[in-house]
Amino acid sequence: MAKKGKKEVPKLSTSSLPDVIFMILFFFMVSTSMRDKDVIVTNVLPQATEITKLDKKNLISIYVGVPLDQQNVAGSAPRIQLNDSFQSTAAIRDFIASEVERRDEAERSKLTVNLRVDENSTMGIVTDVKQELRKAQANKISYAARQK
Amino acid sequence: MEKKKRKVDEINASSMADIAFLLLIFFLVATTMDVDTGMTRVLPPWVDAEKQKDNTDINQRNVLKVSISKGGRILVDEAEYTQADLIRDKQTNESRLSQETKTFLLSPDRSDKKDTVVNNQRLTLSEGVVSLKADKETQYKVYIEVQNELTHAFNEIREDYSQRLYQSSFEDLDPEQRTVISKLVPLKISEAEPNDQTKK
Repeated sequence: MAKKGKKEVPKLSTSSLPDVIFMILFFFMVSTSMRDKDVIVTNVLPQATEITKLDKKNLISIYVGVPLDQQNVAGSAPRIQLNDSFQSTAAIRDFIASEVERRDEAERSKLTVNLRVDENSTMGIVTDVKQELRKAQANKISYAARQK
Repeated sequence: MEKKKRKVDEINASSMADIAFLLLIFFLVATTMDVDTGMTRVLPPWVDAEKQKDNTDINQRNVLKVSISKGGRILVDEAEYTQADLIRDKQTNESRLSQETKTFLLSPDRSDKKDTVVNNQRLTLSEGVVSLKADKETQYKVYIEVQNELTHAFNEIREDYSQRLYQSSFEDLDPEQRTVISKLVPLKISEAEPNDQTKK
């Protein structure tokens, strides 16, 4: 067989690939939010049906649960986690005050304290937290729960 | 005079895709998509211990007392409920507790019921308050389940009123109509003070 004019398949143009990827990138940048701080307590939320969606930027999260590690130091009873460390109930007031300070004046009235309490905790600690929140005048709260 | 045109080299853009991919992967890892969900409540403002005493003026007839004790036993106005009473019936989508709460809220024989006329329809204002007490040792999970059933009762009534008034679901109402319904059926679940428990 003699040389026949080889028919080459034209190269697939990849020049629009970056555009496509950028589009996906922008989609993710818009629709997602940055991961929260590390949770250092067990945090399996209870299930419920009568729940509403909450706007993330108006939330102050308080975690309650059993410490995940360092149990010899932190104990194995449910603890309160504010920011990135274990705190006592007495620290809640300062925590709320500093969180409120960080927000714009206009948004302060919308602030909600999101109680992310592990389902195996007992009500004792939750009630203590709630009493502290009342003292801190953070009366809008939400019991975080998953959809059943 | 002809100037020799100098061709500017094109910038090689083939690595652009790689850069974009890298950024994409970074965002995929560092962000989350899940939405926060929860049951919202408004706590009563803090009152000092001395003032607290004369604050219990609500007509006892209009209060449905729900209390949860240590072992997950639930008492509703002296009647005992178990965990099974929190489970919804598949057909009616009601549990015994939510059913009971609904009947309580809508019961016609209470003194301070007010009828209001909205859109030419007579509707009964719900004045009932549900008081929820929980023992210190109560499991949070049980507490939320009870809260959920109580809220369900309120939501069902709201849904019912909204169908009657506006012929549409409460969720599809515009904010104004929502406030009308919310005023008719205020979500009154009072979470009792912890020291109330010892009184009983």
